[in-house]
Amino acid sequence: MNHPKRRIYFAVAAMVAVLTSALAFLYAKTRAYDESRHFENLANLREIEHLDTHWELDALKSRVGINTHYDALVAASPEFHRLVAELRAMVAEGLTDAPSALEQSIEALDRSIEQKADLIEHFKSHNSILRNSMAFLPTAADDVLGLVDAALAKTAKRPAGGMRRVPEDTDDLLLAAFIYGHDGSEDRADKVEAALSRIDADTHELPAEVREPLDLFAAHIRTVLREHRIVIGLLNEISAVSIHRHIDDIEALLSDQFGQASIERHRYGSYLLAFAALLTGLLVPAAYSAIRNHGVVKRINRQLQDANETLEQRVRERTRELHAAQAELVDAARHAGMAEIATNVLHNVGNVLNSVNVSAGHVSGRVRASKAAGLARAVAMMNEHAAELGEFLTQDEKGRLLPGYLAKLSEALVAEQAEILDELGRLTNSIDHIKEVVATQQSYAGASRIVEPVRIRDLVDDALRMNAGSLARHDVTVVREIPDLPELPLDRHRVLQILVNLISNAKQAMDATGGRTHRMTVRAELVDEGTAASRLRLCVEDEGEGIAPENLTRIFSHGFTTRKNGHGFGLHSCALAAREMGGTLNAHSDGPGRGAVFTLDLPLTADASLKPCAPPPLPVPLLVPAAA
Amino acid sequence: MFCQPLRLAALVLVTIVTPALAAPLESEPIKPLPTSLNADPLRAALGRRLFHEPRLSANGAVSCASCHSLDKGGTDGRDRSIGFDGRLTGVNAPTVFNAALNFRQFWNGRAPTLEAQVDAVIQHPVEMGSKWEDVVAKLALDPGYRSEFARSYPDGVTRANIVDAIASFERTLITPDSRFDRYLRGDADALTDEEKAGYTKFKQYGCVTCHQGVNVGGNMFQKFGVMADYFARRGNPTEADLGRFAVTGDADDKNVFKVPSLRNVALTAPYFHDGSARTLGEAVDIMFRYQLGRAATPGDKGAIVKFLETLTGEWPRRPK
Repeated sequence: MNHPKRRIYFAVAAMVAVLTSALAFLYAKTRAYDESRHFENLANLREIEHLDTHWELDALKSRVGINTHYDALVAASPEFHRLVAELRAMVAEGLTDAPSALEQSIEALDRSIEQKADLIEHFKSHNSILRNSMAFLPTAADDVLGLVDAALAKTAKRPAGGMRRVPEDTDDLLLAAFIYGHDGSEDRADKVEAALSRIDADTHELPAEVREPLDLFAAHIRTVLREHRIVIGLLNEISAVSIHRHIDDIEALLSDQFGQASIERHRYGSYLLAFAALLTGLLVPAAYSAIRNHGVVKRINRQLQDANETLEQRVRERTRELHAAQAELVDAARHAGMAEIATNVLHNVGNVLNSVNVSAGHVSGRVRASKAAGLARAVAMMNEHAAELGEFLTQDEKGRLLPGYLAKLSEALVAEQAEILDELGRLTNSIDHIKEVVATQQSYAGASRIVEPVRIRDLVDDALRMNAGSLARHDVTVVREIPDLPELPLDRHRVLQILVNLISNAKQAMDATGGRTHRMTVRAELVDEGTAASRLRLCVEDEGEGIAPENLTRIFSHGFTTRKNGHGFGLHSCALAAREMGGTLNAHSDGPGRGAVFTLDLPLTADASLKPCAPPPLPVPLLVPAAA
Repeated sequence: MFCQPLRLAALVLVTIVTPALAAPLESEPIKPLPTSLNADPLRAALGRRLFHEPRLSANGAVSCASCHSLDKGGTDGRDRSIGFDGRLTGVNAPTVFNAALNFRQFWNGRAPTLEAQVDAVIQHPVEMGSKWEDVVAKLALDPGYRSEFARSYPDGVTRANIVDAIASFERTLITPDSRFDRYLRGDADALTDEEKAGYTKFKQYGCVTCHQGVNVGGNMFQKFGVMADYFARRGNPTEADLGRFAVTGDADDKNVFKVPSLRNVALTAPYFHDGSARTLGEAVDIMFRYQLGRAATPGDKGAIVKFLETLTGEWPRRPK
């Protein structure tokens, strides 16, 4: 029942997992290369392009002197680094497949930027030199011309040779250099060099004070020539380093990828649509079956409800049957209880019969040893001497003794008769007791009880007497602690029955210890006198074998005994009888070998005698193997 | 026609406003220093401690501050500095002040950033001679450093964080508010007439073609000895004299150096990578001769030196 259900759950869970992952996969595929990243990359590329354009422009501005410092050129480098690093990170993050071409393009871009930076560094250095030399040229030319004039003024003769040509050549050279500085073409450079060589040719003819500034002027011209070529070359190289080309490459790759990603996304978008359609398709039969299932569930519910009602009815019937069975059981138990009572009664009768036996034995012993035989002998003797009876009674030695003997004999016979009558009285008592016990059994159902005023002392004496024979045989000293109590309303026979049992038990308990003299104490007292709980307490205390603690509660159970030939219902019936009278019977012992006290408490209030007829449940009979 | 009153109003406005505003000098080749580079103050404080930390060197003999004393214009006043084991460094120690504004670090520009410069100096066999693992281990043993690093950096004491902290500190070592900067910002009275004349000469002679921008230099390379061979005249060429060539291996880069900043130049003698110029006058002479290839009149040179002295900025404990 359980396994197929679990299997279905697994199947459903697996299906949900498959569908969910398919959905997630398709969704991820449509998001694999998202637009915002693509356009961010493009913006980044635009920014690099923009920066590059400005870089070149700043270099040109520096070249023509619009920019008077290089901070702008320097500031570009870290910006490039930042942008390329961003691009790299973005591309590395967003790439799914074939990233190498893109990464290579970015590397190439980075290399180009580095190369351009290097060229620009060189440009800055050379441009500075060029600009300084260019700036110095007019001053240098003026210095030359001034010194030529001074030298000429000093000599005060017409200038000749080199000195004559120098001012003109200097001006020519200055002009050529300026034109070259602005034009930069190689034929202008040739003109400058031609002018320079003309001056060089004349230098040796010049006085030292003129030659020195002229050399300086020429040196700066040469510097201009050299640096100008370098600067122009560097500027050409700078514009040749095509950052744009790399940017275009990267953009093409990115766009390509984006295009592919878009196509793929569209494809996966349609897959997603198809998948959604599939899910919808699945949903329809599921919904249909759910609706149908709902009907089925409703029907089954109804059936279940019906079944439930039938079941309840059946349960009610069964309950009724059970009640009947229980009543039968109670009846049976009642019968069993009656059997128990019968056993009880027989036991009690047995106990009393013991006394009957003793009394009968006593009477027959008395009769057997009767002095009546002596009377017969005296009568025979008188018959022998019938003739001379007077003489015999007066003269004969034997005859003289006869009247005395007869007198004594009659005394003895009277005593004997009294004794026998006494014993017969006891016998009658016992038989009465038996009659009572039997009557008790007969009256059990009706709990008819005869409550009569009883003197406790008499009651105890009766009980002791019933056990007198065996008490004497077993050498038991009985101590009676009975105060002078008024006559109390008691069910005499039940109390007597309990006392007899307790005394008999005590005797037997002491019997088991053997040897020493035994003492039994029978005590009576009134407890809680004058209150509603006022009761009579009778105690039978012995010095016998005692009771093990675990047995204290069990000894009142039916069938419990520690004696080899015990029946296990003596104390049980006593407890029963005590309870019928509204009282209790308790046992106490300090342990095996330390004696025991049985205490019978009987209520003395009038209503206490009215107890329910059915005996309250007693402990379940236990069959305990005799401990003997 | 209706332009006439407008033009008049503009003229009146300009006439009223101009003296009050003291307009900044916009088109000058030199720009005033910013007042702050926005370094993280916690990290900078840690960097200050590290800057004075001799445990960065192999034997605990020198700290950054040994060669870049903040009391001596961010340098040590020596031709060449003394490394952790007593050997001399290859070049004169450049000032640490405003170094954050240089486009590269070291005379030959081999470090693109302050961080790379710190990293290189700590491992330099002459300068600090340390191994990073030793430095990190030594600092990590110090509970003070451990807690201070933990406050600024999630990963505590590491090579990168030590470097970053020192660089952060160095970004606070800028010296704004020099008299010249005040002049650039429009305070015409910040300079004397002679100093203003010196600045004009500085531009006219062409010093400014290299020493320009916010840091008055520090943003380009230049060959030392453009118009004449400085090293032949000086003698005793060293490897350090090769300059940038040591970095690029390009023959064109021989004797090429980073143009040093002239900020606080009056306090950073001796001058040049070899510390060969004892005074500003001497340095200006050499520059005229070898870089500009011309001579200046003594009056012009004196004025230029006066101008250079106005580039000294303000910072706590600045020597007067």
